[in-house]
Amino acid sequence: MAELAVDKHVKYILAVEKNKDSFESVVMDHLRMNGAYWGLTALDLLGKLDSVNVDEVISWILKCQHESGGFSGNIGHDPHILYTLSAVQVLALFNKLDVLDIDKVATYITGLQNEDGSFSGDMWGEVDTRFSYIAICCLSILCCLDKINVEKAVSYILSCKNLDGGFGCTPGGESHAGQIFCCVGALALTGSLHYVDKDLLGWWLCERQVKSGGLNGRPEKLPDVCYSWWVLSSLIMIDRVHWIDKEKLVKFILDCQDVENGGISDRPDDAVDVYHTYFGVAGLSLLNYPGLKAIDPAYALPVDVVNRIFFSG
Amino acid sequence: MDLLNQLETILESDPLIDEVGLIHPSQFITLSKECSESSNSSSDGAFRPANTKFWNRDHKLGISTEILLPVCKAAKSAFMDAMKQYKTHSDLSVNKREDKNMVYGHSSSCQSFESEVMKHSRALLLLSCDLGTAWNARKLVVSKKQQLPMFTDELHLSALVLSYSHKSEQAWSHRRWVIKMICEKYSNLQQIIAKESELVEKIAERSKMNYRAWNHRCWLVSYMTREQMLYELKKSRDWAGLHVADNSCFHYRRRLMLGISENKQGDDPSYDVENYQVVKEELDLNEALIKRYIGREALWLHRRFLSLCLIRHLMTTTHGISCHSTSMDNEINIFLDKELRLLDSCSTIQDTEFEDFKGQAIYSTMYFLWLIKQIPEFRKIELQEKLKAGNLKNILHKTCPERSFLWDVLEL
Repeated sequence: MAELAVDKHVKYILAVEKNKDSFESVVMDHLRMNGAYWGLTALDLLGKLDSVNVDEVISWILKCQHESGGFSGNIGHDPHILYTLSAVQVLALFNKLDVLDIDKVATYITGLQNEDGSFSGDMWGEVDTRFSYIAICCLSILCCLDKINVEKAVSYILSCKNLDGGFGCTPGGESHAGQIFCCVGALALTGSLHYVDKDLLGWWLCERQVKSGGLNGRPEKLPDVCYSWWVLSSLIMIDRVHWIDKEKLVKFILDCQDVENGGISDRPDDAVDVYHTYFGVAGLSLLNYPGLKAIDPAYALPVDVVNRIFFSG
Repeated sequence: MDLLNQLETILESDPLIDEVGLIHPSQFITLSKECSESSNSSSDGAFRPANTKFWNRDHKLGISTEILLPVCKAAKSAFMDAMKQYKTHSDLSVNKREDKNMVYGHSSSCQSFESEVMKHSRALLLLSCDLGTAWNARKLVVSKKQQLPMFTDELHLSALVLSYSHKSEQAWSHRRWVIKMICEKYSNLQQIIAKESELVEKIAERSKMNYRAWNHRCWLVSYMTREQMLYELKKSRDWAGLHVADNSCFHYRRRLMLGISENKQGDDPSYDVENYQVVKEELDLNEALIKRYIGREALWLHRRFLSLCLIRHLMTTTHGISCHSTSMDNEINIFLDKELRLLDSCSTIQDTEFEDFKGQAIYSTMYFLWLIKQIPEFRKIELQEKLKAGNLKNILHKTCPERSFLWDVLEL
């Protein structure tokens, strides 16, 4: 079996940042904050976070913060909860949470909780269980989960549960592995996993593994490396990871590498991108692939980073 | 005229454009040839055939792949500048309004900034559809105006973006925001629901298993009346039969059925019978499809839901006359016997050459196991099930050994 081309991937991630003149990079420019999180977390898991200039990253992140306390995907764009979590996660990676006015960020997030416990993504009001996870994860990293109504947040998430055991974006929405990760993650972070029928949800999740060993995100879909993260982390959180064939999954992810130029794609022989590179590496980390740092399935941050937040006083 | 200006002029001169696509430079020649053949009119054709950057005819717009990057960059910087000016200006007028002695004659210049923002953001979103900031800018302007035609324009732009970028999350989300705004002020919700439903179906036809599109349709269900839900269920029936791998469509039907069964307006007892009928008909349709299309996962997952609904229905309602546990048990038994026969016919692999038959065997076995897990009462029915359960275990080991651990989960 091929091995993980660590050096190539590091090189690839560092190079992505520099290539700013393609159409892809222009249309992705507005979510650079997410890109920073994917790239930098992957680098950290690969043990190479020290190859970036910390001060540059931090000062750019701070330039993306708005009066409201929320962060935007890049300078000059509107704030959104999606980028706010990424900003906080990147600061946590660098052990720089102290540059933040924590109350300000917390106020932004708290202000997005709705009467029914759900969260809007920004001031324009779109509701999604993804935003519930983000709010809970972000406040938990900032150690101020008590600022929202956790009970209502949990009951909203549970209202999005389907008969198949999975979760959707809003009540009655179709089960989707990405949404399931968000809901299970939020329930894990609030100590509410006992509301989940683990066998039923695990059943749906393990049926995501297809013949090639890869995982899909919904029935009848092709496998995709990113679900190595969404499905796998959920299975770990509900203690059912032994229900899939881990070896076959490792092989599938490794088959999606561009071993010459670095980077990981959604499926073997497709074009690589930083998103799938991160999820491939993160998936391998969950599968205890040798040489990688361990990642926390709920916080989506390296375990040592999470420990530093909660146990270094 | 620069490229961005050209694009914006086209968009303004032909507000009925309903489809956008990218064209390779080499395709322009073919397209203009076709045009001259099909129409012998000597219309001026401002942007054809000499124009090899944009193609506009019959309310369709083609943009050359060659100019994508420069136009996108130009649109973005024009939008960002316009937005900056607009914001500074509206801050300014707010301040001045507070000063009662000032007469504010800013409305005309403010309007010009507004229209700049709208013009550039429209061009930009056609090229970079997930740019939230540009959608937000439009929401800001439109919500200040509160005019129905403007809201309708937004639905049109969103549909235009979705015509080539079927999965654009921002475009779908913008629609929902606009619809909520319209419904707050004008109450033509029922009309909108019908139109939205059609739009999703049109897009779903071109982009299979589109989660965002179907999610939008599911969102509409919470605003539907019982009659509408029943109508939608009927209307999407044929589509489902033609797209048996599209789990999203089946999920939509599940959402409708749940909506119908939870809908208890007036406590009409005839609803109970109708609800039962709805599930029963769907089960029949599903069985027919399962037999016609061998080995489709989405069909079998749909059956899990339907069977569970039916059994729950039998257990909770006073369906028919007074429902004593024996007659209820009886009905459930009849149903389960039927399902066992279906399992029998589907779990025998008729042709090992074809993956589909193997799939059918696996899905049918998993379907039955799942049903056992979800119905605790099942275990109480001691009849011949145990015997058959012995057989089921064999089938499981034979068809999908990698999932045989599920047997232990069931603790049978």
